[in-house]
Amino acid sequence: MKTLIIENIDLKKIGELKTVSRYFCELPDIIALGEGDIPGNYGKAWQSSQTLPPNLLPSIVQLAKLENYEVILLSVSTLGTGLAGPLSAALSAPVVTEVTAIHSDMVIERPIYGGKAIIKQKIESTPVVLTIRRKYFEPEVLEGHTSSIPLNIESEKVQLISEKNEQTDGVPLEDAPVVVSGGRGIGNADNFSLLQTLADQMNGAVGASRGAVDEGWASPTRQIGQTGKIVAPSVYFAVGVSGASQHLAGIANSKCVVAINKDEEANIFNRARFGLVCDYQKIIPQLTQAIKENR
Amino acid sequence: MHIAVLAKVVPDYLVPSMDFELSNNRAHERFSRMLGLYDENAIETAIQIKEKTSGSLTLISYGSENDIQFLRKGAAMGADQLILVKGTSDDAAVIAGNLVTALQSIDNVDLVLAGQQSADMDRGVVPGILAQMLGVPFIPQIGYVDHENGSWTVTQITAQGKRELEFSGPGVLSITSIPENVPRIPAVRAIFAAKKKPVIKLESTDQKKMALNELEVAIPKIECVCEFIDVEDPGQAVRILLNRLNEERYL
Amino acid sequence: MPRIPYWNIDYGIIIDLLAIPVAIVFFYGLYQQWLLIKQGKMRVIPSIDNMIQGIGTFRLKAFLVRGILNARLYRKPASGIAHGFVFWGMVILFIGTNLVILNILFGLPVFSGGFNRWFMSFMLDLAGFLTLVGIVFFLVRRMIPPDRLRLPEARKGFVPVSGLLGLILITGFVTEGARIAAAAGSLEAGAFVGNFLASNLISPALAFEIHAVTWWVHGLLSLGFVAYIPYSPLVHIVLAPVNVGFADPAPNVKMGVMDFSAFENEDAEELPALGADKLADFTRKRFLDFSSCLWCGRCQEVCPAYNTDKPLSPKGVIVTLADRLASGKLDESLIDGISMDAIFNCTTCAVCMEACPVSINQPKTIMRFRQNLVMEQSRIPELMGKAVASLEQRAHPFFGTGSGAAEWRKDLDVPIFEPGQTEYLLWIGCSVAYEQRAQKIGRAMVRILQKAGTSFGILEESRCTGDPAKQMGNEFLFAEIAQQNIEDFSALGIKKIITLCPHCFNSFSRHYPKLGGEYEIIPHGSFIKILMDEKKLNLVRKDQLITYHDPCYLGRRNGIYDDPRTVIAGVGGLVEMPRHRNESFCCGGGGGNYWAEELGSRINQQRAGEAMETNADTIAVACPFCLLMLTDGLKKHTEETKVFDIAEIVDASTV
Ligand SMILES: Cc1cc2nc3c(=O)[nH]c(=O)nc-3n(C[C@H](O)[C@H](O)[C@H](O)COP(=O)(O)OP(=O)(O)OC[C@H]3O[C@@H](n4cnc5c(N)ncnc54)[C@H](O)[C@@H]3O)c2cc1C
Ligand code: SF4
Ligand code: SF4
Repeated sequence: MKTLIIENIDLKKIGELKTVSRYFCELPDIIALGEGDIPGNYGKAWQSSQTLPPNLLPSIVQLAKLENYEVILLSVSTLGTGLAGPLSAALSAPVVTEVTAIHSDMVIERPIYGGKAIIKQKIESTPVVLTIRRKYFEPEVLEGHTSSIPLNIESEKVQLISEKNEQTDGVPLEDAPVVVSGGRGIGNADNFSLLQTLADQMNGAVGASRGAVDEGWASPTRQIGQTGKIVAPSVYFAVGVSGASQHLAGIANSKCVVAINKDEEANIFNRARFGLVCDYQKIIPQLTQAIKENR
Repeated sequence: MHIAVLAKVVPDYLVPSMDFELSNNRAHERFSRMLGLYDENAIETAIQIKEKTSGSLTLISYGSENDIQFLRKGAAMGADQLILVKGTSDDAAVIAGNLVTALQSIDNVDLVLAGQQSADMDRGVVPGILAQMLGVPFIPQIGYVDHENGSWTVTQITAQGKRELEFSGPGVLSITSIPENVPRIPAVRAIFAAKKKPVIKLESTDQKKMALNELEVAIPKIECVCEFIDVEDPGQAVRILLNRLNEERYL
Repeated sequence: MPRIPYWNIDYGIIIDLLAIPVAIVFFYGLYQQWLLIKQGKMRVIPSIDNMIQGIGTFRLKAFLVRGILNARLYRKPASGIAHGFVFWGMVILFIGTNLVILNILFGLPVFSGGFNRWFMSFMLDLAGFLTLVGIVFFLVRRMIPPDRLRLPEARKGFVPVSGLLGLILITGFVTEGARIAAAAGSLEAGAFVGNFLASNLISPALAFEIHAVTWWVHGLLSLGFVAYIPYSPLVHIVLAPVNVGFADPAPNVKMGVMDFSAFENEDAEELPALGADKLADFTRKRFLDFSSCLWCGRCQEVCPAYNTDKPLSPKGVIVTLADRLASGKLDESLIDGISMDAIFNCTTCAVCMEACPVSINQPKTIMRFRQNLVMEQSRIPELMGKAVASLEQRAHPFFGTGSGAAEWRKDLDVPIFEPGQTEYLLWIGCSVAYEQRAQKIGRAMVRILQKAGTSFGILEESRCTGDPAKQMGNEFLFAEIAQQNIEDFSALGIKKIITLCPHCFNSFSRHYPKLGGEYEIIPHGSFIKILMDEKKLNLVRKDQLITYHDPCYLGRRNGIYDDPRTVIAGVGGLVEMPRHRNESFCCGGGGGNYWAEELGSRINQQRAGEAMETNADTIAVACPFCLLMLTDGLKKHTEETKVFDIAEIVDASTV
């Protein structure tokens, strides 16, 4: 099937989409946005420095019709989300967003109800527009470069006035796929940095219980729970956290809770999927090390 | 200034995973229904624009008549009228098509806002499809909206930060939550006033469905028994843990 | 020798004649106070008879006991006694003065025999002496004032008026001394102060002159003083007992319920404000409160919010209003001056009311502001907003809960209430259903009732009384939820309800009847006591020390102090915390503050610390919110788990 990837020039994002494209074709085409060389091999490659979907849209639609693409791959991002709906309408194509798995026969999976259920749908006609959820597909290692044809942009409906990358300390808590939380059991402010190192290894964020916040070891913006943030990562590490109900209120929809606590009676184990009963100081550095090695 | 907000009444999005249940492949009817999470942010954003520009605000929804009681909250928050297109489809194209009909039934809409995604299907494509049908730009994940010198300045919340964009003429924006658009609790006077605000009910029109065939909806299994990992040898324990996390596809 | 009126004085009658204009000025001053108070809104409650001037019903007993005898004042012994000296001293001197007038006018024989000796001489000297002692105490205290008087603002005007009173007493004594000294040698039986002055300080040679001067000074100052009372802080002599007399006799804050039916059919624009934003929104009773406030700060001293560095002081709120009232600014918005934080920091614990010597209802005033913020201005702190929204959307405020509605009774066979068959409804309420720790209270109570063989059942679905909405100022949502519950209870024929949470108890017993729902309501602790009395429980008394934390809504609000203590004494030894019963210190969770990011330091940690210091093995509570707050608070002090609900304690002690 003729497949087109549309993505900003970014090794990881394009790599993931390249992996996904294997379900549909040998070699996809690409529209790469932004400056620089296009990493990896493609049938055809177009490039534009324009990154705003409304401005790109007419050219993409024209191209898609001209080239008869059957699958258009985007990732879940402001770009992908901005293009998916309009492209679908313009091409009368079905669209499936936030795809997390692809099966044979054009059957795809995506979460609904905030991930509490998974829906399986069969795509019955092409072209189809898919946006792929990040981190669900192993990114292909992109080698070499493909030279590109410039993509013609006719008019700019939307102007970019300014762009600001905010240097947050890592990923925002609410969106982090992995959260490492520390509680009163951490014992002092310095040891919180152990958690940060671990979180950094997994593109995660550091959270805290109110116990730890009360002690002044973590800033109140890190607090998770009823009076703090509500998070829903796939893995939540609770380190030295007893698992008070108000804390659990913030992690009710975490997929997997890993509890590290020296007290085997701690309530956190009632919510945890995996439990390690011991002093966290024995585990956290080892864990950090192991993840580093795994990469 | 006339702003339209698209909102959807959905089953409680905070039902705990452990309690979640399906009936006929959708969330069980026993869950309370309410306005979608981001839809309320969109309504709040719209009210703030309305207040700044002394404009008017129409709340548009596609759903059942039973939804009106929940949509009234939007009216109590500040929408001037409600339009409900009666329909039961879950198809994004059908919903968008019907919302377009509703939008075309009122004149001079300067801006259409929607929640970033509905809190049930979590798709986030309806406003984009609808924008294309109307032939206007669509920009997702907007936090702030400002109207200056006849054009819109909006702030998009991206994965890396923010960017400020400008466009003129009508457009469709999907709104994400920011501290400034926490939905207000309607004042009591407004709740009573909302009861008297007009509700326009439209029959749905035939729209082409998307070529998607729903095969199955399932609840992912949640293990609720804790698996204790032996910590005699911490190095070993850590490896077992990572293996298990990978096996079960959490990492 | 009997005393002769106007001895040594020419035209003494002038003093008596001057009393007439003085009385006019005095009553005119009181009238001015009334004009201030009258600006408040009249209460119109058809069910209350004997309503006076839209203020309320006047209760003589409270007027006498708390107003005149000042029973509450003595909780602070030093200032209580000093105040007693001044007050009772003045009363006696006032009687004495009137007797003198009666003597002049009608020849009442007060200056002879034993009466003269014991009353007119001894008693009056003693009264004057003690009053002077009291005044010295107060003047000294004004110079080195305790924080409660000084902060956030001290009342001005006490020093001059007290000084004046002191001067009157001194000139009175000098006059008396001079009169005795003039009689050269013969002292007056009983008049110990006068005799002392006569024999030690006043030379008989000068006595006549001194007497003539001080007699006039004393008389004129006294008249001036009386005329000045209504224009000085001493106006509380009149206002305080009146305010006490008008105070609602039911214990503690009475928020009442609001009627929203007017909003249904009328033009909503013209309806009165909900809650209060400016003085004009308050009732006459509140105006009387503000005018009566002594600025004594006793409320502030016990307030949990104030004591944990939050921006709220009940005294601050009342005196702000008193200030505005005095300056006549009725239509100025007050909320932002008082601050939204202060208004939401109140836990509605009402220990301030309990401490107030003049029965001012501080929490009610604070709640009126809160109601206005929430119901008129849509302003509410974010977390409380989430809780209220959740209550509206999913019928419970516990957003983010990991529990479904039936989770608390998983693996437990709990009967559902059967109309006509079940006797008691076991009301679960929101916290016990949705809060994981609190769920254990429900489970424990079910087991207790089953062991006792009580006929009980629960509602199929979990519900909330609506109380959290009320506490957060959303009376409208409360009324909606309550009406729905009442309808459903009627359909099921529910008559008797056992509650697990004092907030539910308080709402059911105080507010539901006003909306048409009358039931017999029993808090779980009291029900357990009944079961114990009826010997339906097989309790094992353990060798354990238990301290009991009085929940505000069970204790102060509803006067239930003994039942839970009896229950505890049945399973262990009871030790009291320093602040207990009506002086109990709040857990910090009331007034919706369970859903708050606490400012300042934490109330629950302070209270848990107090409980720890009793060395009790167990800290017993009788409220799910207290349970949650103190469990958390205790973590600051120990890793042990010590906080349990009485149902859990009893359940663990029954066989
Ligand atoms: C109204 C209210 C709202 C609240 N909101 C929140 C909220 O939003 N978020 C929140 O988190 N809490 C909240 N709480 C507080 C909550 O009740 C708990 O007190 C708090 O979560 C406890 O924090 P903790 O688990 O860090 O501390 P603790 O309960 O003291 O637990 C520390 C744990 O660390 C373990 N430990 C100690 N040393 C080690 C070690 N060396 N290695 C491994 N384990 C160790 C101990 O066994 C213990 O289990 C709220 C409470 C109230 C009353
Ligand atoms: S009710 Fe309690 S918290 Fe509120 S002002 Fe009075 S003492 Fe303070
Ligand atoms: S409200 Fe009562 S306790 Fe508080 S300062 Fe006034 S008189 Fe004193």
